[in-house]
Amino acid sequence: MTTLARPFALPRPSSRLAVIVPTAADLPWLAGYAVAFWVAHYVAAEWGGRGFYSLLYPAAGLRMALLWRRGPRLVLGVAATEVAVQFVTGIIDPLSAGFATQLGGVVRPALAYALVVLLVRRMTDHATTSLSVAPMPLGLASVGAPVAAAMAALPWSLWRPDLTGVSGMREVIASLTGFIVGDLLGVLLLTPPLLWLAELASGSASRPARPNIAGVIEAVLVLLFSFASEVLLASIGLGTPHTPLLLAVAWIGLRFGRTASWLAIVAVAAMTLPQTAMPMRVDARLALHMSLASIMVVGYLAGSFADAQARTRSDLQRRDRLLFQAERLKTLRAMSVAVIHEISQPLSTLAIEAKHLHEITVSADVEIASTAALIDRKAAALSTLVRRLRRFGGRTVDKPTPLPLATLIATAAALAEPEARSHDVTLTIEPVAPDLVVLAQEVELAQAIVNLVRNAVQASGDGRVSLAATQVGDQARIVVTNRCRRNRPDQAGMGVGVLVARAIVEAHGGSLARVGDDIGEARATILLPLIGEPQ
Amino acid sequence: MTVSDALSGTVYVVDDDDDLGATVARLLCRHGHVAESFLDPVALLDLYPQAPAHCVVTDVMMGDIDGFDFADRVRALDAAVAIVFMTAWPTTANAVDSVRRYGGLDYLEKPLDEARLLAAVAEGVAWSRAQRTAIARTATLTPRQRQVFDLLVKGHNNQAIAAALDISPKTVEDHRAAIVAKTGANGIAQLIALAR
Repeated sequence: MTTLARPFALPRPSSRLAVIVPTAADLPWLAGYAVAFWVAHYVAAEWGGRGFYSLLYPAAGLRMALLWRRGPRLVLGVAATEVAVQFVTGIIDPLSAGFATQLGGVVRPALAYALVVLLVRRMTDHATTSLSVAPMPLGLASVGAPVAAAMAALPWSLWRPDLTGVSGMREVIASLTGFIVGDLLGVLLLTPPLLWLAELASGSASRPARPNIAGVIEAVLVLLFSFASEVLLASIGLGTPHTPLLLAVAWIGLRFGRTASWLAIVAVAAMTLPQTAMPMRVDARLALHMSLASIMVVGYLAGSFADAQARTRSDLQRRDRLLFQAERLKTLRAMSVAVIHEISQPLSTLAIEAKHLHEITVSADVEIASTAALIDRKAAALSTLVRRLRRFGGRTVDKPTPLPLATLIATAAALAEPEARSHDVTLTIEPVAPDLVVLAQEVELAQAIVNLVRNAVQASGDGRVSLAATQVGDQARIVVTNRCRRNRPDQAGMGVGVLVARAIVEAHGGSLARVGDDIGEARATILLPLIGEPQ
Repeated sequence: MTVSDALSGTVYVVDDDDDLGATVARLLCRHGHVAESFLDPVALLDLYPQAPAHCVVTDVMMGDIDGFDFADRVRALDAAVAIVFMTAWPTTANAVDSVRRYGGLDYLEKPLDEARLLAAVAEGVAWSRAQRTAIARTATLTPRQRQVFDLLVKGHNNQAIAAALDISPKTVEDHRAAIVAKTGANGIAQLIALAR
C-alpha cells in the first residue's frame, strides 16, 4: 500500500545536458534576441570607446531579461546567439590571432549572467526572508550579474593587457568600472520594462494603476530639490557630490515602488550620462560612474523592497480574509450538522409512513395511489440525501482506503447535482471504467471534486458542465469541463474552493491544473495515482 | 411453530420522539411483530420484568438515560434480549462500541433504512428465541445435574467428572441420562450448543 502523502513526482529530464539545449519553443526568443542584441550593440558603439567598454550597454538589459524570463538553462542559446551576432558583424574574427580572447570576451558575460540568475533562483527557492519575495530576487540578479561579469573579465584583463588595449592597474579598474556601470545601466533601465511587456503579452501582468497626483508631485519635487542642491553646490565651487540625488532616488523607491524608482533612475541617467561622454579625467569619470551606479542600485533595491513589502502586506490581508471566511465556514458547518440532525428525526417518521401509505394505496384510486407513490419516492430520496450529507459534513478521521473511481464520481455527482440544477446547468457524467481504483479518503476527495464542479457550474456559459474520469498511464485523470461565460459577473466566492481542492488533491499524491483555452472552454484536471484492485 | 412465528416476536421501541417511536412500532406490527413504543426508558425498565421482549430497538441520545446505559440495564434484567440501536448523530466510535461493548445487533442511522431495520429486528427475534429455548431446556436441571452438565460440555469424560465431583462413575451416568431426558438433546454436540 502506498503512503498517502507521497509527493507528486514531476517527470525529470533524462540528463543534465538535455536541459540546457534550447528547445523549439526557445527558438523565436533567441531569434528575437539576436536582432535586438545586434541593434543594442550597434547603438552602444556610438558612445563606447577606448578605456571603457561602454557607458550604457542596453544589450546587457536584453540578456538579463531573456535569461530571467526563460531561465538560466538558456545559457548555451544566449552565448551562441551573441557569438553568432558578433561573428556576423565582424567583431570577432576566426582568422585573427586574438580569436580565442575575443571569443572568451563574448561568451564570458553570458555565462556570468546565467550563473548569477541560477544562484539567485536557487537562493530564493530556499530562503524565507524578504529577499525571496518578488521583485527582490530580480533586483539582486540585476545588480549581481554585471558585477560578476566584470569580475570574470578582471583576470583576463590583467593577464593579456595587450589584447584589450588597456594597460596598468589604474586603467583596468577604470575600464571595468565603466563596464559595470554600462551593464548596470543597461540592465536596470531595460530589464524591468522588457519583463513587464513580456508578462503583459502573456496576460500575467496587470496594467499599472493610475498614479495619484499627490505622489507624482511629491516625487518630482524631491527629485527637483536634489538636482537644485547639486547645481547650487557646484555653482559655489563645492564640487558635485551626488548624495542628494542618491537620497532622492532612495526616497522615491521606498515611497512609491519600483516603477517610480525606475522612472527616477531614467531621469537621473538622462541628466548625468551626457556629462561622462565629454572628455574628462579618468578619476573624475570613475567617481561619476561610481555615484551613478550607487544611485541606480540603491534606487532599484529600494523600489524592489517597497514592492515586495506591498506584496507581502496584500498577501497578509488576503490570508486574513481567508481566515475570516474559514471561521464563517466552521460556524456554517456546525449549523448544518444541527439542521441535518433536526431534519433526520421527523424525516425517519415521514419516510416510513409514506412507504406504508404507498403500500396500502396500491390498489386504491389511481389518483391516491400515484400521489402516495410520489410522496414515498420523495421521502426516500430525501432520506438518502440527508444520510449522504451527514457523512459528508462529518469530521472524518478515517484512514484512506482503496476506492473505485466510479464510486467517487457518483458520490461527487450526487452532491453537486442539486446546485447544478438550481443554476439550470446540465451536469453530464461520462461513464467511468469500473476497474479504476485510487487510494483515497472518500469524503475529502469528493469535496475536492464538488468544489471544482461548483465553480464550473457558476462559470458555465452554455449551461453544460461535464465530469469525466479516465486512465492515463498509471494515473487517474478526472476532468471538469465548462464553457466560460462572456463578461461573467463577479462571483461571491473567494477562490477558497480551489485552494481547498488543490490541498486535498496534493495530500492524495496528485496534482490539480486549471486551464482555459482560446475557444472559451475551461478545464480543471485532477491527476491521481492509480492503485491495483481493492483488497 | 411456523417460520413466520419464529421470525416475529415481542419488540419494544424506545425513542424520545414519540411520533418516530410509534411509527417504528407500527411498522414492526405490520411485519408481524408485537411492538410497543416507549417515550421513557425508565418506565420500560419498571415494566420489563413482568413482560420481557425478544428485541429492544432504542435511540442512543435520550434525555436522562442514554441508549447505551439503558441497554446495559435491560441486559442485566434479561440476558436473552436482542438490542438494536438507532441514532441521528452517528459516529464511528459509537458504532463500534454499540456492537462490541453493549452487545447491540446493529447500529442504524436516521433517517432509518427500513429494510435494514426489519432485517435487524428479525435476526434479533430469532436469536432471542434460540437463547430462550436453550435457557428453558437447561432450567429444570438440579444443582448436581447442572454441575455434571457444565463439566460435560467442557469435554470431560465420565471418569474425570466422577473424580472432580467425588462421586462414582455410575452416578455420573445416571445424571447424564437425566440431563439428556430433560433437555431433549441428542448427543454431546447438542448439549454443547445449549451451553453456548
